[in-house]
Amino acid sequence: MGNHKSSHQSSNAAARAYWPAILVVALGVTWAGTVMLAAAPARPRQVSATPAATAPAAAQGAYAGQAACLGCHAEMDYKGTLHGLASRPRTPAATHGCESCHGPGQAHAESGEASLIRNPKKQTPQQASEACVSCHNRGTHALWTGSQHDQRNVGCITCHSVHTPKGPAQLKAASQKELCATCHRPVTNKQHRFSHMPVREGKLECSSCHNTHGSTNQSLLKTGTTVDESCTSCHAEKRGPYLWEHAPVANACVTCHDPHGSNNERMLAAKVPFLCQRCHVTSRHPPTVYDGFVRNNSTNANKIIGRGCVVCHSQIHGSNAPSGKSFLR
Amino acid sequence: MRTTVVIAAAAVTIVLSGQALAQTPAASEARSRAVTGVVDVGARGTSGSGDEARYERYRDLRTGVFSHLVFGSADESRIWSAGAENVGYRNQEYVFRYAGGPVTLKGGFDSTPLNYSYLTSTPWRMDSPGVFSLDAAARGQVQGRVPGVVGVPSSVAQLSTPSIFRGLANPFDLRSRRDTASASVAVDATRALGWSLAFTSTGKTGSQPYGASFAFNNANELPLPIDHRTNDVSAGLEYTREQGMVRLGWQASWFTNAIQELIWDNPLRQTDTTPFDASGYSNGNGPARGRLAMAPSNHMAAVNVTGLYKMPGRTTVNGVFAFTTMGQNDTLIPWTINNAIANPSVYGTYPGLASLPRPTAEAKVHGVNGMVNVTSRPNRVFSLTTRYRFNDHRNLTPAFDARQYVRFDAAPYSGGSFSQNFNIRQNTFDTTAAFNLRPSSTLRVGYTFDDFDRTGRSFSDMRDHIVRASFDQMGNQWVTVRLSADHTTREGFGFSEASLEDGGLQPGVRFYDESDRNRNRGTALVVLTPASFMDVTFTATAGKDIYKGEGHEFGLLNNTNRSLNVGLNVSPGEHASFGFSIGREMFNSLQRSRNANPPGTDYGSWTDPNRTWDLTNDEQVNIVDVYVDLAKLFRAFDLRADYLYSDSDNGFVHSGPRVVALSTNAALTPGDSRPCTAGLTSCFEALPNVTNAWHRVTLDGTRYFTEKVGIGVSYWYERFDVTDFARVDLAGTALPRIDYLGEINTGYGNRPYRGSSIFTRLLYRF
Repeated sequence: MGNHKSSHQSSNAAARAYWPAILVVALGVTWAGTVMLAAAPARPRQVSATPAATAPAAAQGAYAGQAACLGCHAEMDYKGTLHGLASRPRTPAATHGCESCHGPGQAHAESGEASLIRNPKKQTPQQASEACVSCHNRGTHALWTGSQHDQRNVGCITCHSVHTPKGPAQLKAASQKELCATCHRPVTNKQHRFSHMPVREGKLECSSCHNTHGSTNQSLLKTGTTVDESCTSCHAEKRGPYLWEHAPVANACVTCHDPHGSNNERMLAAKVPFLCQRCHVTSRHPPTVYDGFVRNNSTNANKIIGRGCVVCHSQIHGSNAPSGKSFLR
Repeated sequence: MRTTVVIAAAAVTIVLSGQALAQTPAASEARSRAVTGVVDVGARGTSGSGDEARYERYRDLRTGVFSHLVFGSADESRIWSAGAENVGYRNQEYVFRYAGGPVTLKGGFDSTPLNYSYLTSTPWRMDSPGVFSLDAAARGQVQGRVPGVVGVPSSVAQLSTPSIFRGLANPFDLRSRRDTASASVAVDATRALGWSLAFTSTGKTGSQPYGASFAFNNANELPLPIDHRTNDVSAGLEYTREQGMVRLGWQASWFTNAIQELIWDNPLRQTDTTPFDASGYSNGNGPARGRLAMAPSNHMAAVNVTGLYKMPGRTTVNGVFAFTTMGQNDTLIPWTINNAIANPSVYGTYPGLASLPRPTAEAKVHGVNGMVNVTSRPNRVFSLTTRYRFNDHRNLTPAFDARQYVRFDAAPYSGGSFSQNFNIRQNTFDTTAAFNLRPSSTLRVGYTFDDFDRTGRSFSDMRDHIVRASFDQMGNQWVTVRLSADHTTREGFGFSEASLEDGGLQPGVRFYDESDRNRNRGTALVVLTPASFMDVTFTATAGKDIYKGEGHEFGLLNNTNRSLNVGLNVSPGEHASFGFSIGREMFNSLQRSRNANPPGTDYGSWTDPNRTWDLTNDEQVNIVDVYVDLAKLFRAFDLRADYLYSDSDNGFVHSGPRVVALSTNAALTPGDSRPCTAGLTSCFEALPNVTNAWHRVTLDGTRYFTEKVGIGVSYWYERFDVTDFARVDLAGTALPRIDYLGEINTGYGNRPYRGSSIFTRLLYRF
């Protein structure tokens, strides 16, 4: 009865409360020291040694001009893309053309030496991305640095191609689901399950829910700050807040649903009534063994066929009825 | 027949045009301000069998005219594009985009249907939105227990007689549609300053299957009408410099539901039981009508500030602070629609039912969210990313006094309670250190601490400790490797057994979204590129959750998942590619329960271990994808073919002493009664596996006879086979049975289908 961990909790409460803070401080001190030691000498060395490793802001040298670039690399023309929009002040076409991303190229143009021009394909993904985020540093890209993809060496050019895109948003694949499947195949496979979002029908795509460039929410969800806020941005009828709340609904829809697809109705993570029975071990009907005999011989069959538990508890996402305590009204 | 006509039309088209000499498409030069695009129109024929709504699940494939239109133009000063899909159909879509100078405009309209079933029927008639009536004479016969009349079947014997409502049922298409109109503008006022404004309006209409029940033996399903709209507005103001940016954002959303209650007639009664029967919710002696409160109209607003700052040492700080408010104040429906209860004679015994504690919901939630990321890459070898996230979900809705309320509109009840809100405060600290072992190889180790403080749950606090490691090998032309593994330990604190007992739960149950848990997960991705035109991809994932807390006896005890996938892509030339992907996923879980009566009601079944039973859920999924893409196969002929296959085999295996007792009709504990009715030696039947298999074939051929003009033929085929014990069919047919034990439903279920469509298309590109 009561708190079965009270002794354990009391003996370690202080340590549990403070050790994350201690860890943060320790890491902060470590980081600050590393930065102070590394920052000043590192930048000049990087510029002089390997131009490819520098950020655009640090690039130095004379510009050759876009005409010089296209004189040799005509196939790399980006006319007709947003980058080629000269009327927009922040685009490459409105600034230094090719050299906006590749850095000043006069030395390269004069010598033909490949090492004298920045080639993102020869940089690490994070280095290559630095050129991109020097402009793409706002809107949906503001939280790119340090995001999950950035941390795992997935850079801008891992998914996008400035010069030879195959899909919208200059993707390297014809569609988002094709591109994302490159790494997330077990997830994208779920779109072909019996119960699914309209992804395979082309009405939704991965970016309908996720911002792959960084997010304040969990799992790179695009909208809101919690899973349920993301889901209810479309399913607003389930946003409530209700008079009577169902605990997992207030926490995360994915407790019961698999939004990527499932072989159960309504994209449920498991089949009803068994999904409900994972928590509802009360008395009488919730823990009844719903087997073939019940299904074929009892009026309790209405709890195993069709909607299962939800045929009565239809307000399972919350009820606004005064008598809705058990989500029956 | 319709498909045959369309196939014939396609054949004639090809024959008539087949002798035309194909001209080699000349490379078109970019023409400044010239409008380019594709007009792709033609005829579509569709036929199918079974539950064809599944074939059309989120689309409209009716026989008729097909259209796909794209227009656009681009030069150095502006780019615009416009498109239309399936004009005039339930999945039509229109888009427009413009970018010129500092302005970006986007707009569109999209319809997405959700077709549930075309085999559904219901005896209820909708008199007005949300109000359903049922034939009064039929209800009267059921209430009067007229011999031979079956209302809601309540025994196997009654299943041989059609319910009186089956004959009254009218077929209808069960479907809904979501229409979304959107427009946005973004302006770079200066190089540093930009603003944006977006508006989206989404309306949803139609109907969906919905439970509307009176009692344990009278659970019904109706086609709930849907008529609601959500209007979303967002605005942002951004200021950007080389060293960073700051953004002020505002979002608001208003959801308006035109149908705020559902009222429906009771199939077992024409008149209210007067006076009410206290057990009326279980024997059918209840109300003549029931009433549900539908989703309340609500609103949400959020203000947020996003910042980014680049510091020395290749260090970046970015973060967000957001404040959110949500609320609704809909008028509450009365305690019950049953006039046998809603009258002063009952209020003497149940004074709490005389009036509502308050007339409106007064529900509101405030949220605060903050996140700061610090990413530092001071040198080529080491980098550190640290994140702190705070999220507070505070429900400020006043507790609602429902200590007395009405169950199923049938019976007043004094065992209620005040409503309980769920507050959640989450603190997350996450740090990852990365070591670049070589320029293309990175090893990462990380740790996350997640702390949840909540109200209303059995654990007031739970904490996750996550350690993880990953390794990425990239940049090598032959092989790419991505490996990751993580281990999570979850501990719950502040456990309250009383909160379980208040809900009538076994004290040994733990909810799997908060109980103590060990989680191990791993993923591996290996991409081999033996030649520049070929890649082979291996993907493997595995995960296991073990719920292991002290006293954890019931609920979900463990689950495992594994997946394997192999893919091959070959592109031997610029105009040809083919490949396949084969995968298998496996899921297994174990849960435990106890079939018992409340404490003190019998010999002690509540604590009888022989009442305990287990369920093992074991699912295996296979998926195959094969494709061939041959552009310019015969000069100007493009061919694309794709075959997709997915299946599932889902087993449900019950075990444990309670299942033994049911199987043998044995009382395993002295004092317990035999579980089966007299005369039976067993009352347990194992559930058959739920299986399905889905095939999809798509073929698309296009031939251009001139640079601009071509024809195309496309063929789609789908087949879905399924066995599911949750579906009930009329004997000897594949048609739904709407009257089954304890239920009158719409017939919506998990049914097989076959569908095919053929498209003949005339293409004009310019």
